[in-house]
Amino acid sequence: MLDVVVVDSLVKRYGPVTALAGVSLAIRRGEFIALLGPSGCGKTTLLRAVAGFVEPTSGEIRINGRPMQGVPPNLRPVNTVFQQFALFPHMTASENIAFGPRRQRLAPAQIHGRVQDALAMVGLEGLGARYPRELSGGQQQRVALARAIVNRPEVLLLDEPLGALDLKLRKRMQVELKRLHQQLGMTFLFVTHDQQEALAMADRIAVMREGAIVQLGSGAEIYRNPATRYVADFIGEANLITCRVDASGAVQITPNGPGSPYRAPAKGARQVSLMVRPESVRLGGAAGTDQVALRAKLKDKVFVGSTYRLYLVFADGQEIAAEPGCSSEVDELAPGDMVWVHWHKDAARVLED
Amino acid sequence: MRTDARPVEQGGEGMRLTSANAAFLMLGPIAFFVLFFLAPFGLLVAESFMRPDGGVTLGNYVSVLSDGYYWNALINTLLISLWVTVVAFLLGYPLAYFIVFHVLRPWGRRLIYVLLMTPLFTSNIVRAFGWIVILGRRGIVNATLLAVGLIDRPLDILYGKLSIVIGLAYILLPIMVLSICSVLQTVDRSLIEAARDLGARPSRAFVAVTFPLSLPGVVAGSIIVFALSVSAYVIPSILSGGREMVTPILIFQQYAATFRPDIGATLSVVLLAVTLLLIGSYLILFERRLRAVG
Repeated sequence: MLDVVVVDSLVKRYGPVTALAGVSLAIRRGEFIALLGPSGCGKTTLLRAVAGFVEPTSGEIRINGRPMQGVPPNLRPVNTVFQQFALFPHMTASENIAFGPRRQRLAPAQIHGRVQDALAMVGLEGLGARYPRELSGGQQQRVALARAIVNRPEVLLLDEPLGALDLKLRKRMQVELKRLHQQLGMTFLFVTHDQQEALAMADRIAVMREGAIVQLGSGAEIYRNPATRYVADFIGEANLITCRVDASGAVQITPNGPGSPYRAPAKGARQVSLMVRPESVRLGGAAGTDQVALRAKLKDKVFVGSTYRLYLVFADGQEIAAEPGCSSEVDELAPGDMVWVHWHKDAARVLED
Repeated sequence: MRTDARPVEQGGEGMRLTSANAAFLMLGPIAFFVLFFLAPFGLLVAESFMRPDGGVTLGNYVSVLSDGYYWNALINTLLISLWVTVVAFLLGYPLAYFIVFHVLRPWGRRLIYVLLMTPLFTSNIVRAFGWIVILGRRGIVNATLLAVGLIDRPLDILYGKLSIVIGLAYILLPIMVLSICSVLQTVDRSLIEAARDLGARPSRAFVAVTFPLSLPGVVAGSIIVFALSVSAYVIPSILSGGREMVTPILIFQQYAATFRPDIGATLSVVLLAVTLLLIGSYLILFERRLRAVG
């Protein structure tokens, strides 16, 4: 059996508020899956339902094929890394880590060995005797991780575990988490609102909105082929150009622009969004029939380190951003200039609103 | 631009509390403390070393400490106070736990706090007489037990250690509850969830996490309750019926009945010293744990 966790049309209502509106998700053994969405999208509720802290209104969660209905958190084969670490302040790092193994009534020597292993795994050898308040934020984060993985859970649940760390440390912990995941071969279910974090770490990303999963796939898949305008906007940076659809179903990019190669996906749609990533937009006129070329006015030019970022305005007032890379042509541009931009027709996606 | 050329902000300077200002502001409280607390206490200590004719002596301490009667009263006082503390804790902790973890509506919690506080607005004397009505030979407790047939003669509950403990625990319970509540409220719920997540049953999560983290409230509450029980006068004198002697009653008698202020002062100092010693060792006992908690 490949799926370690199966979430089957899970619904959770708090009075009139629906936190989860029928979520289904199958998590493969050993994969690193991220639940991504803004606050209030239900991602934490879903995680807590798997952990056993939220009783679903309807639907089912199975872990290793076993229904979890009515199984309390302490009897579920999962462990959680909490958002603010939730380390026991009255216990040392070692005692924190030993908490789980002690509940399993392992022999003291065995517990000691496991704690030492876990400390080594997160790079905290020799700091076991310290209390949480004597450790830095990053070290506390590692203790929280060690405390969870020491129990060898079927699934490790991570509730925005890097949210409390500063940016630099967060990037480093991302790499370490990924390494730990590969080393342990454990299944990771990771909750985050940070798309960069999800892209950097997860094998698959479930993008959530208003209690439902709107798209599930690898980071590259979702980035290249977002299912909706919402996903495109949430993952990476996207230009979303609002376009008319004419009677024949052809998409018109700008009111008086040339005919475009795009067609509306559904019949009867009057308006769609065309999604183009800034890095796909190039300067210059069309070089072939597989290119889409448009005229625009340069509004602003910002140096962002590796490249320039151009803000362009079309005749109808819609703005797009472009990162065409460095060239002498870009260097010479000044706000107010009229320019041609183009992109490969496959670089853009038609999305329904 | 030179940053040090900026004019000093007037408002910022004025808002700062200089030590001279602070000293001036503290003058009132310090004067009050010295005049009405430190000075009388000094006089009391001085009195305890004085002979009736005015000379300095250790004789008062010798006679107090060598007299079994005084010792009995002191041990009685401490024993009663200990029981009061234990009873207040045993009743107060579950109540505080219930308020903090099971009363979720803010107004419900407020209502319970008000109900808890209301008895404090009534005189202790009135409430002590209330217990006489309840615990007396023909009181509610005995009447009920007799009616049910559990006993065939009224029990002697009133006028003994038991009634004093009941009366004091009843009066001091709110203090214990509020003290525990204030700390229990601050216990991070995610810590309890973490314990459950790591395989602890609810009872184990309580023993290993919730209770240890609420310890500062328990310690503070029990010290206040113990100290107030040791110095209680009204409740013991009404509910002892003259059959039990506690040190505060004894001290009062030295001043009001036997006119031996020197012995009264000596007893006060001894009671204070013993109480401080006990509270000190109690704190030392918990010090390591308390430091770890916060």
